[in-house]
Amino acid sequence: MRAAPTQDEVRRQNLGALLRWVHLHGATSRAELTSLLGLNRSTIGALTADLAAARLVAEDTPKGLRRAGRPSLVVRPQSASVYAYAVSIEVDRLRAARVGLGGVVLDRRELPRPRGVQILETVAPLAGFVREMHRRVPAGAIYVGGGVSVAGMVRREDGLVRLSPHIGWVDEPIGIALAAELGGDQPMTVGNHADVAALAEHARGAAAGCDNVLYLYGDVGIGGGIIAGGRRVTGHGGYGGEVGHMVVNPHGKPCGCGSRGCWETEIGEAALLTAAGRAGATGRDAILAVVDAAERGDTTARNALRQVGDWLGFGVANLVNIFNPEAVLFGGTLRDVYLAAAAHVRSRLNEMALPATREHVRLRTPALGDDATLIGAAELAFERLLADPLDAAGSPVPPPR
Amino acid sequence: MAVRPLLEVRGVDKSFGAVQVLRDVAMNVFPGEVTALVGDNGAGKSTLVKCISGIYPIDAGQVVFDGRPVTVSSPKDAAALGIEVVYQDLALCDNLDIVSNMFLGREKRSGIALDEATMEQMAHRTLASLSVRSVSLRQPAASLSGGERQTIAIAKAVLWNSRVVILDEPTAALGVAQTAQVLELVRRLADNGLGVVLISHNMNDVFAVSDRITALYLGRTAAQVRTSEVTHSQVVELITVGYTGSIGLLPDPGSYEGMGGRS
Ligand SMILES: Nc1ncnc2c1ncn2[C@@H]1O[C@H](COP(=O)(O)OP(=O)(O)O)[C@@H](O)[C@H]1O
Ligand SMILES: [Mg+2]
Ligand SMILES: [Zn+2]
Repeated sequence: MRAAPTQDEVRRQNLGALLRWVHLHGATSRAELTSLLGLNRSTIGALTADLAAARLVAEDTPKGLRRAGRPSLVVRPQSASVYAYAVSIEVDRLRAARVGLGGVVLDRRELPRPRGVQILETVAPLAGFVREMHRRVPAGAIYVGGGVSVAGMVRREDGLVRLSPHIGWVDEPIGIALAAELGGDQPMTVGNHADVAALAEHARGAAAGCDNVLYLYGDVGIGGGIIAGGRRVTGHGGYGGEVGHMVVNPHGKPCGCGSRGCWETEIGEAALLTAAGRAGATGRDAILAVVDAAERGDTTARNALRQVGDWLGFGVANLVNIFNPEAVLFGGTLRDVYLAAAAHVRSRLNEMALPATREHVRLRTPALGDDATLIGAAELAFERLLADPLDAAGSPVPPPR
Repeated sequence: MAVRPLLEVRGVDKSFGAVQVLRDVAMNVFPGEVTALVGDNGAGKSTLVKCISGIYPIDAGQVVFDGRPVTVSSPKDAAALGIEVVYQDLALCDNLDIVSNMFLGREKRSGIALDEATMEQMAHRTLASLSVRSVSLRQPAASLSGGERQTIAIAKAVLWNSRVVILDEPTAALGVAQTAQVLELVRRLADNGLGVVLISHNMNDVFAVSDRITALYLGRTAAQVRTSEVTHSQVVELITVGYTGSIGLLPDPGSYEGMGGRS
């Protein structure tokens, strides 16, 4: 039998629950918190006082309608002064942001990434962004850590990124390299793009309130972020969710991973552009140009979207049968492909998936758009704060100014 | 699902003179869902919407709102119930800003005089609830793109706690990027709990955001189906010939009674 939790543990848990609530849902009155968290009024008062003393939340008298009696104080996250750094390493661009508690992007920087720029070469410009933003941080602000979202497979243990350029697999310690360049005291937490975007959409986006979510992210390849029973599924080493390498066509095209007929060889950027007669083109604008051409009646573009939409539905059907998600989100360029080819995606899904798994599944595009990876990367850092608000708040040392 | 339809159209007939345009039409609209209303040109989609919104009186049948039979004899009646229609020709005043446009013609209807600050706050809250961030409240309508105009027209429709929003071909005149944004907005309306009716000819739009599809064929309801139960080609058949397999208005004229409107 487990020992009963100590008073300290209970308090830590309650502090985390309260802070998490306002972090995810914004300003909330004490009265609402009392019923939402199932704690009594004086406990909420004490927890709020502790969090306010740590400058993680603030309390206001509600504006607007005055009713009779004393209004319940509103507790809001200190979004302007409690912050994390978020870095997003994408195929075509590099982004960094300062994100406030509550998921508010306070500052951001962006740079195109020419294809072929190696991942460790991105460290210097990204660290430059962070230093630049750091000079504008108001005095007394609280740094809670940094998170990195990267288009690659990430080892959970240490944030090592495995990449598959055409020469073979290479391992890159991006989290450690960034931290070293920045001179902070902790490595930044690293997550795979689709995992991180899934985390953000689950926390405060199109999948809020859903415990079983499949997030599909498209760029050159196809990534998958899976949330099952409310938890991220990343597998033994952190490498799980690589749905882009699910083999859908054993007689298909060779894949960059060394296998053949992987899902991304049928629905990735190159598959659509090649089918549309635009082999060699790359990037989101090229995808949008195909959608635009199809809309204007270009038969080749239409057929390409139909074919890719069909394969998209094929893979989603398999995944829906396995995971029975409430929501499937199409992110990155898959958003544009889904919206422009939904009739084909849905038709294939409806033909292949079991009635029980498909009847309630919601097909959605992300609510946070391109910000999902930044907000999700920051979420990786906020996780530590939320686990133990009063401890973590003081601990990580921000990059020097 | 045990949820009751928010809006039910039952057995509606409508003629213009000798021409019968709607015959025994049925359609159910559920809260939190997008119902796509599809049909060829001239099938009667716009006429049905005008019957629901009080522009045309119906000859027979019933409109049931929230479980109660209602008589909607003017757009004012429809608005009082919380039924709003967004038409394709977007009636925004170019020289007015977004806030003024959102309240244009509405202040009087509600009978309360609102100050600028309250109007701005309400407009802001509505746009925020729809995650619309691309426009500023004091921007004149003349400076908006087609997609933004559509967005503001939709926001105007939901400003006053509407419960059913009907959109007649909202993406027909838009480019690719703006179509995507409007589709996402249509989906968000339903995800916020409204009952949404989307009229569209574009099957990708229909399959991208709808939960159910009502197909009209020559003024009759060919079928009401769940989007998770049909394929693209089945919906095309419902639109072009009125049936597909055993679903819809069967070709034998003696046997179609009772098939139409089955959900
Ligand atoms: N005011 C009207 N007077 C006479 N006929 C009309 C009128 N409005 C529509 N119709 C006819 O009703 C039919 C259905 O039209 P409509 O509802 O506009 O179809 P849809 O919107 O599906 O294209 C068409 O044949 C049209 O010509
Ligand atoms: Mg019409
Ligand atoms: Zn592969």
